[in-house]
Amino acid sequence: MLVDIWEGTEPRPEVERFCEMWGIKGPILLDPGAELAGALGVRGVPTNVVVDSDGTIRAFGAARLDELEQAIDHLYGR
Amino acid sequence: MVVTSERDDPAFPVGAACRIDSRSPWREIAEIPVGLDPEGIAVDNLRRRAFVACSRSDFVSVVDLETHEVITEIATGSEPIDIGLDEETGRVFSADAHSDQVTIIDSATLEVETALPVGGYPSGLTHVPEFRRLYVGNSLGSTMSVIDLDTLETVATVDAEPGAGAIGVDPTRRLAICVNFVAASANFYDADSFEEVGRLELGVGTCAIGIVPERGEAFIVNSIAGTVSRVNLDAIEVVEEIRTGQAPVGLTVAPAHDRVYVTNRGAGSVSVLGVADGVEWSQIPVGHGPGGVVVDPHDGRILVANAGSQTMSIVEDLLAARPPAPVFEQPSTFIGGKLPAFALEDYWTGERKTNHDWAEKKYILNFFASW
Repeated sequence: MLVDIWEGTEPRPEVERFCEMWGIKGPILLDPGAELAGALGVRGVPTNVVVDSDGTIRAFGAARLDELEQAIDHLYGR
Repeated sequence: MVVTSERDDPAFPVGAACRIDSRSPWREIAEIPVGLDPEGIAVDNLRRRAFVACSRSDFVSVVDLETHEVITEIATGSEPIDIGLDEETGRVFSADAHSDQVTIIDSATLEVETALPVGGYPSGLTHVPEFRRLYVGNSLGSTMSVIDLDTLETVATVDAEPGAGAIGVDPTRRLAICVNFVAASANFYDADSFEEVGRLELGVGTCAIGIVPERGEAFIVNSIAGTVSRVNLDAIEVVEEIRTGQAPVGLTVAPAHDRVYVTNRGAGSVSVLGVADGVEWSQIPVGHGPGGVVVDPHDGRILVANAGSQTMSIVEDLLAARPPAPVFEQPSTFIGGKLPAFALEDYWTGERKTNHDWAEKKYILNFFASW
């Protein structure tokens, strides 16, 4: 799911414009104070955090497609 | 987090090969709050000021480089993204993406002189004093505007490709190169006739370029691919792909032309890449979501616009040459630990969602910003 951070203004209009531009319809959470991002030490965007079914973080960062694919393969034991 | 190894190596004694006797290859000087979503920076070396294009604030922050304080804010058109300064005329040019114009500011009076219409969504510009030309990449217009720096007349509007933005110019080969983000390509033009003389397919998300004329090379950032392409300007071909930190977006060539600085929007850092060896020498931490980067010609310090932090970082690169140990990525300390509990608003429904809503599911949190 997407987590929106660091808009600097009211995030809703910005997220709406972003979703229209890129055709995004999936789940989006708003983290305007970057609380979750801060708790995880996120320093930039995009940052992907891969979470296992027991809530364990399996990968962090993985901005490149090949890195993300590798992390997903690892998550599913492939 | 990415760190640079600091192991002892007799071939690289600290204090002998470094500019200062320091174990760290970088030093943070300041992080200065500016407007919202700062993207581009230009330096007024004469007056020791930095002009920071703050795209979400629709103004340019003017920062005193000695006191590190914001002097004033100058209103521009909507969404100023890139910015440049012509020392000969003292004019500052901001590419106002959402207004389809370039705002011209007098760097002495700090007042807007005029605005020039360009193509749709100008998102990149570069000025070339030798040619007395300003080049503007118009992303939605898929064109490159060429403006006379003295008369402010548009002398040409050249077809480029979707996502035209960053532009590099090689004065020795008289080449202008327009980088196209959406098309993932670059167009090469004769700088005098504006005829296209070549084209390259590049990595996904091409967005910044730097030229090293004496080597006949360009370095082009591919943000989504996470690489920098080394391009031979005589053959117009990619000769190497260099990996950087996460989501590189900005690039500038160091004054000595021995390295380039690449901002990593996904990592909150600046990669120092060796020009000759194509190796990542170090990564310098800066603010969150860095984009535009320039070098202050006065002291060689690196100025970085941090879109996430809404700040401008000033840092020093302390490496005299390539270090003996390469950059290596340390995995996040959160890997293997539990995701912190969260309760965030769902954009679509307005409901609070917590990590319990995804209990016993495998998922990916993709932290993003709309800029």
